[in-house]
Amino acid sequence: MSHIALSLAKAAGWFSRALGRGGGTTLPGMILLKLRPHTLHEMAQEFEEIIVISATNGKTTTARMVSHATHESGIPFVANTSGANLPSGIATALLQRKPDEKYGIFEVDEAALPEVIPQLEPTVLVLMNLFRDQLDRYGELETTIQKWKEMIESLPETTKLIINADDPALAYLGSLHQNVQFFGLELTDYGSETISHAADSLHCQKCDSPLNFQQVTIGHLGHWECQNCGFHRPHPSFTGDKINLKGLDGSEFIAASKTDSLEIRLPLAGIHNVYNALAAYSTCSTIGISATKTQRGLWTVSAAFGRNEIINFDGVELMIMLAKNPAGANQNLKTLLLEEENIHLAILLNDRTADGKDVSWIWDVDYEMIIDRIASLTISGDRAYDLALRFHYAGFPATSMHVAPSIQELLNHLKSSINIGGRAIVLPTYTSMLDLRSGLNKIGATHSFWEEK
Amino acid sequence: MTEIRICHLYPKEMNIYGDRGNIAVLQKRLEWRGYSSTLTSISIGDEFTPTSFDLCYLGGGQDRDQMIVAYDLQEKSAALHSAAKDGMVFLWVCGGIQLAGVGYTDSEGRRIPGVGILDLDTSAGKSRLIGDLVLNAELNGDICKVVGYENHAGRTFLGSDATPLGAVLKGHGNNGEDKTEGAVQRRVIGTYMHGPILPKNPWLADKLLSWAIEHKTGKAPTLTPLDNSIENLAQQVAITRAGMKR
Repeated sequence: MSHIALSLAKAAGWFSRALGRGGGTTLPGMILLKLRPHTLHEMAQEFEEIIVISATNGKTTTARMVSHATHESGIPFVANTSGANLPSGIATALLQRKPDEKYGIFEVDEAALPEVIPQLEPTVLVLMNLFRDQLDRYGELETTIQKWKEMIESLPETTKLIINADDPALAYLGSLHQNVQFFGLELTDYGSETISHAADSLHCQKCDSPLNFQQVTIGHLGHWECQNCGFHRPHPSFTGDKINLKGLDGSEFIAASKTDSLEIRLPLAGIHNVYNALAAYSTCSTIGISATKTQRGLWTVSAAFGRNEIINFDGVELMIMLAKNPAGANQNLKTLLLEEENIHLAILLNDRTADGKDVSWIWDVDYEMIIDRIASLTISGDRAYDLALRFHYAGFPATSMHVAPSIQELLNHLKSSINIGGRAIVLPTYTSMLDLRSGLNKIGATHSFWEEK
Repeated sequence: MTEIRICHLYPKEMNIYGDRGNIAVLQKRLEWRGYSSTLTSISIGDEFTPTSFDLCYLGGGQDRDQMIVAYDLQEKSAALHSAAKDGMVFLWVCGGIQLAGVGYTDSEGRRIPGVGILDLDTSAGKSRLIGDLVLNAELNGDICKVVGYENHAGRTFLGSDATPLGAVLKGHGNNGEDKTEGAVQRRVIGTYMHGPILPKNPWLADKLLSWAIEHKTGKAPTLTPLDNSIENLAQQVAITRAGMKR
């Protein structure tokens, strides 16, 4: 490794943080990749264990859970904790690796994954779900599935694949690899018999016939089978059972493998976080982290920035739940319905590159389910009026919404409409979440995202 | 109370760009004016009866689903032709405009048949045409700006029986070459514009509703004006984001 390339790249990170631009979580890696295109492959050789986690939703949180359990076990590791999940972000994390760190835990963007996997050659690859997301950037879901298929077909047999059995398209991909284990949720009271409007992957990957669902948990995840060709949900090695969702306060379930059965208590809300925790448990079990360390790691996990993160400002509690695609947004809304009190809701919609420039996805979100439970509605972001229209046509009176043209005004409005000690739920897209956190950071309410631990 | 009958074709397969927003706009704008409406989903294998509806909607889907739908539409082709001739209103968006044409030639040269209620033909291009789209649309001599988003690989060229929905001010449109977007023939409208198209373009929504009411009652209605202030603000923002001065 060239010392000059490393020093240049590291200096760029320092400059970037000093200038306050994006925290230097990607720039050093970007420079390094320009100077040394095979840098990921070179640096990957230093590791004993590389875990890669990818999904449309939940990859940041799951990687964080695995990191916590690994930390509990006293194993030194490096991870891309700031959510910088493109090759540049992974290279930046690798640059900061200390010599004793022999474990790498990386979340990787689903579109970048086929490029990253042959370079990192992970020992464990965890695939959690694929939902429609940013069609202008990722293209059709079928395209991503096709690219992942090619990636899995050229995966060395030594790579342990861990796959969500409840996602029919991913289960099919898993069937193409010898060294695979599945995880999945047992039937639960929180499931439903009907498929939501914006569900994807409803046809059999083998024969194109419509799939039959005994139960749906999120989008197209659930207990499924094809009655035409007999392809069905594979029997999972890791199961989640006896789920108890305690509103926004957290969740509990029993995670089990062939050898263990343990009670998992999570400080994170919603069935999507049960999936994340089950994926983390499957991963930890696969890399030999003990059940008690996993249990502790999951219990002490705090929310990743913007993912069920709670920030206090001037006596009001803001709970930020990133909502960047229909499946994720619907899941957040369902979690809110578990609350007894009506909700002070703020929604932020931006249309920058990282959000997707096409905002049509908000019409696939079932906001209708929450309308009768709204105590106040504040709307902000570059495309606030698109959201206002969405609620207008959902039957929410236009006169009852407040459109805030800036983050400062959003915060002022929330402060004036919520009593001290009260709580607002904020559903932002990715860049509007960064805007919001930067606004809160300015008034000292939170830390910067690159200081994320 | 006059009841307008809306048909949503293949809502399960063809729905990827928030298509149900268009249905919501049609139904709400009828309701706000004292009309009632019914919504019927017609899926694969179902019969389409040409006398049962006033307006027929078809949205965009993934290539795989669009292929499944294309073959099912062949079964309904005669009924759709008869409905179009009889003055039923059609809004077929994105994959819909391709299916309304005479056919689609995919990237491997395979020919997928269309219904042929619009005189146009489509073939796959090398790149996808993606981005904001702004038009000067024209219907019955009225001109209005229409804004939306496009994301398609197809290059569509109109024959002599179809006229464009509008002239492209920003974006690619039908084929990225001739500055046309969409197609109109009788009361059949095809367009690449999603967003979805109707929420931010109340002018177009009301045109479709006038036609649908006329189809039902035999008489062109005078629509009660609605407060379009949020619609207009959202449209202005979209036009500005598309990089155009208003």
